[in-house]
Amino acid sequence: MLPVERLHLDHVLQTVSVLESVVLRSFGPEGGQMLFIRDTGQAMLSRSGTKILTALRLEHPLARMVVECVLKHSAATGDGSKTFILLLASLLRMIHTTACKVPNVSHMYNSREAAVASTARRLAKKLVAFAFEELDDIFAMGVAPYGCCLSQEDYILTAQSQTNNPCVQKLLATFFHSRLGGTHSDLFSHLTSEMLINWIVRGEHPSKSLHFIYDNLPALHTPVSGFSISCSRLIEGQVIHRDFAAPCPQSDQQPVKAVILTGFLHPEVLCAGEVLQLGCEDNGTENSSWKQSIMQYSTWAESSLECAIARLRSLGVSVILSAVKQSAAALALAAQAEICIVECISEDELFLFGHLSGVSPVTDCRMIKPDDIALLTFCRPILLGSQRYVHVAFQDLDKRLIIKPCSLIICGAGEGQTDQYVCAFRDAIRMQLSTWRPIGTAASKQTSQLSKSESLHAEDQICKSLSFQQSLMGPGCVVPAGGTFELLLHHALLQHGRSVSGKADVDRFAVSQILANALLSIPKNIYSHSSRRFLETQTRLMGFINKQKHNTNLEQNLEEGIGNQHCCREINTPSEVFMLDLGLESLSCKYQLLLAVLQCVSNLLQVDTLLHINTTSHT
Amino acid sequence: MSRLVQKSPSLCTDLPLNNSDVCNKLRLLKELLKSCYGPTGRLKQVHNNIGGHVVTTSTSSVLLPALSSSQPLVNLIRSCILNHVSRFSDCGLFAAILCLTLIEEAKLSGLRRNVSIKVNKHLLGMCSSYLQEEDCGCRVVLDFCSSMNLITLTRSVIYSKPACVLAEVEALHMSKLAVQAFLLTVPCNSPGTVRLGRIVTVGVEGHPVLNSAVLTGLLVEVHDHLSLRMIKSMQTNPLRVVLFSASLAGDLSDLGDGIIEAHTGVDTDSQILDQLLEFCKHVVEDEVKLFVCQKVLHPVLQQYLRNHGVIVIDRVGVALMEPLTLLTGAQPVATLHTTIPAKAYGTVRSLSVKEFGSKTMLHLQPAAESAVCTMVVCHRNETMLSELKAVCQQAEHVLRLTLKEPSALLGGGCTETHLAAFIRNKSLNEVSQTLTAVECSQSEYLLGVEGFCRSLESVAAALQHDGGNSLTDLTHAHHWTLPADVTTENMEESLTFCGCGLTRNSPNMKWTHLNTKYPQFSPAPALRDSTVQPHVLDSFTAKLNALQVAVETANLVLDVRYVIQDTN
Repeated sequence: MLPVERLHLDHVLQTVSVLESVVLRSFGPEGGQMLFIRDTGQAMLSRSGTKILTALRLEHPLARMVVECVLKHSAATGDGSKTFILLLASLLRMIHTTACKVPNVSHMYNSREAAVASTARRLAKKLVAFAFEELDDIFAMGVAPYGCCLSQEDYILTAQSQTNNPCVQKLLATFFHSRLGGTHSDLFSHLTSEMLINWIVRGEHPSKSLHFIYDNLPALHTPVSGFSISCSRLIEGQVIHRDFAAPCPQSDQQPVKAVILTGFLHPEVLCAGEVLQLGCEDNGTENSSWKQSIMQYSTWAESSLECAIARLRSLGVSVILSAVKQSAAALALAAQAEICIVECISEDELFLFGHLSGVSPVTDCRMIKPDDIALLTFCRPILLGSQRYVHVAFQDLDKRLIIKPCSLIICGAGEGQTDQYVCAFRDAIRMQLSTWRPIGTAASKQTSQLSKSESLHAEDQICKSLSFQQSLMGPGCVVPAGGTFELLLHHALLQHGRSVSGKADVDRFAVSQILANALLSIPKNIYSHSSRRFLETQTRLMGFINKQKHNTNLEQNLEEGIGNQHCCREINTPSEVFMLDLGLESLSCKYQLLLAVLQCVSNLLQVDTLLHINTTSHT
Repeated sequence: MSRLVQKSPSLCTDLPLNNSDVCNKLRLLKELLKSCYGPTGRLKQVHNNIGGHVVTTSTSSVLLPALSSSQPLVNLIRSCILNHVSRFSDCGLFAAILCLTLIEEAKLSGLRRNVSIKVNKHLLGMCSSYLQEEDCGCRVVLDFCSSMNLITLTRSVIYSKPACVLAEVEALHMSKLAVQAFLLTVPCNSPGTVRLGRIVTVGVEGHPVLNSAVLTGLLVEVHDHLSLRMIKSMQTNPLRVVLFSASLAGDLSDLGDGIIEAHTGVDTDSQILDQLLEFCKHVVEDEVKLFVCQKVLHPVLQQYLRNHGVIVIDRVGVALMEPLTLLTGAQPVATLHTTIPAKAYGTVRSLSVKEFGSKTMLHLQPAAESAVCTMVVCHRNETMLSELKAVCQQAEHVLRLTLKEPSALLGGGCTETHLAAFIRNKSLNEVSQTLTAVECSQSEYLLGVEGFCRSLESVAAALQHDGGNSLTDLTHAHHWTLPADVTTENMEESLTFCGCGLTRNSPNMKWTHLNTKYPQFSPAPALRDSTVQPHVLDSFTAKLNALQVAVETANLVLDVRYVIQDTN
């Protein structure tokens, strides 16, 4: 008989609460770092929820399921893994209390626990359905009007005046605050936004450039340990993470001509699998002319090498970027011809170099064409920490690509720290990518259409909102951070609940209540060090909402029929300034987070039994 | 069969800094490092449990790698400091002690962690901007017209490593040599970007330290003594040199991955050797007198070359190849079939044989001006020698750093006490402006400031190991040491100079013990009297970075709330 473990809601709640207590240590402005020691003894620092959860190496199957859900979510958005756990725990708690309150009416269940479990299951299903049907509208009505939209110009505008349009920088600062702590968030958001300004192609959708940065990140950054973090900086051009194979001659001629080489300079006489026979005279006339000495082969190889070098020399090439290791003879001859060789460059770096210089790699030096020669403004060694790398900058970039390529140098006291910064940087780019994703997928739109036809009696306002939902929650929508989103949604859900409470739809009311109350746990934890701050923020926000509503009503009365576009306006009214102090976060990430958490809750509650299978080791 | 082993769950520690075991370990580490600090620091013997080599040391670069601990926080601090040491070679112990004291002070103050972190970061910014200011009271601008300050700087590096066991005269001798060697690596008349040359260090065991010397050119160890006899007959000046970077042992390496089938009667070895001999004939015809090979040279070729009056040095190793190319101006050759172009040959002015103890070395003098020199370091036994060699390299590094930033900081603890007094004064005066930036109350801020300043002062006090008292004066805020056997009554007579030697006892000077309350004052910079030179100087770049790394590491440790150890 297999060992069977019945799962109760209590167990699920307990497991998730344990995870919550771990994650809470690094949540919010008062949270700190987690130090993780790998099995190799290597230290790693992190404030990222995914890193913490994977580091725990959990055994409990339920916990592992939760961690998997978190990983999936953060792989998609790059943000929100700690909030995921907190929201999950708080939702389960709310469901638990609601389910316990429901009187045990049915006699179908033989125990109270089973009754509670089934109520919880039903609630969870309702929650998911609710989210798919109505969350879009609630977002559009209750949250989006208080946010603002990033536009493509924001990335460019920041270049001219850093203080004028701080949206992108605010968004990044909030993200880095949650990932690296308050002390370094300004430095990193500044570096990242500067990097984005340099890399984003004007007139193109930002997500395309963001994708490019994300894909090429390994080639775009250099971690340097042993220095203070304040030494982190951007440098022009590209850093190739290899050293010159031979000491490079200093020449001031411009431009520096370079080629990308993927093959060997020194030709291979014998390929693998070929057989060279020496000294067999009866083997036909062909071989007899070659039979004299093995040295002829290497003579031929060397003269071929000399030809290749001479060809490069005649083309004026002074730098060879090679993907493979070249022979000692090739290095010596190249050094004599004053050509520098950089060997064993990784594919990523060569790809980036090719992209930026506009040339394609060649396999054989004898086939080289003038088109294959890249023009560089300089190519010189750069000493970063203990390593010497090759630093290149490109010519004529303004004509081909409208970007200023630059590379990020990330300094930290140890390897653990630089790793952490690099991860945070990568996730910041991913977070921005998901910010640009439109909210509400095609599927959810369909369901919302359905729900519209279903509930024709729904309020007019919602129907109206659906028509311009597109404009309200376009890609790039951001809302003030610091719990504002949760408080806004809490408020909107309560309003919504009140509007449906007149109907006989009890479950819908209960469900929106549960969600609304669960959301409050996030701002409560953010201000865990002083509950006064929490109340202050809440009252300030409520006051703001009421005032806003008043204004909107006036506006709507005045200009009836004109689309409700005011959500995307510039932030300039003084009442909104306080929201900026809190920072910004992406609405799209929040939306996806909420859906993911609700799905995870219903998944968790569907499980009722654990079967432990013993696999005996087979011989 | 698959060998799947279940991963065991990780070991977790919540709030490690509240754990008394962790705190004890951190305190132990601090006491251990403190006892090594400074010229009178105590030595530590490091030996492993399997009868390995015993190392006697007090330098952080040797000590810290040996101090691995099961406690992750200790390892975190260790690796941060070691990274600093590997970049700057100096001020490792300073950084470690400051970091550990800051952690302890932050715990003692009872402030919220985030507040201590913010205050520390703010004060660090204040310190580094003050140190870079023009009228900073503890910075000395180095004058490259005189070697005086350079020697003082080097002497401070060398003298602060008691494991070298150097007498005063010996330390001075070594620092003079280090500065001389450093100056030799700076090329005199090359326009454009200057590339520094190389110092090759050769250690000789069993000789007195005063026999150490710096020679221009290179010393190369010779394995056979046959060729040395021929040197006396060599009078032609200058001598032609060829440098070979490929192996000449008679192997074929770059033919590819195919299979070679040799039938009977075919002797590939002799074919190759013939080719090599042919090649050597060319070399001899080109009147090469010195043949240097990075790898192994076939004995037949050695014999052939020697018979034709060529001096052969093989197996020099890759490390010596770069200085050799710099010295001779030759380009390494790796091809056998092509004729060697004339410009690939290099020259040396003269060759001579030098004997140091058991070692017989060939001395290569450069034909033209070159930035390569050799430092022969002698010491009585192996451990002291290895420590001294390491120290000389550190000194070279510190001197090179001065080229980027030509200044130094006052040593002997004076910089620390001066900074502490400055911070106390400045933060009290500007308290209202900073509170908004740091986001805490005034009392919290002042507590944080006090902790930071006390940490700085306790590093200065750690220089004292013989039971003496550490004092600071109330005008310049320099660091003074009162020997243990002196009573407070005749204190004033026994204090003559401060730690760095820049200020001297004057009648109306007042002192106070370190880590006691004293009225805040603005520390005056010491009078710049050209006759008084500081006796102890520290590297500016290294100390500034050490300060930053120490505070950042302390902040990091304070920020750790949870430790997860993977025990697989």
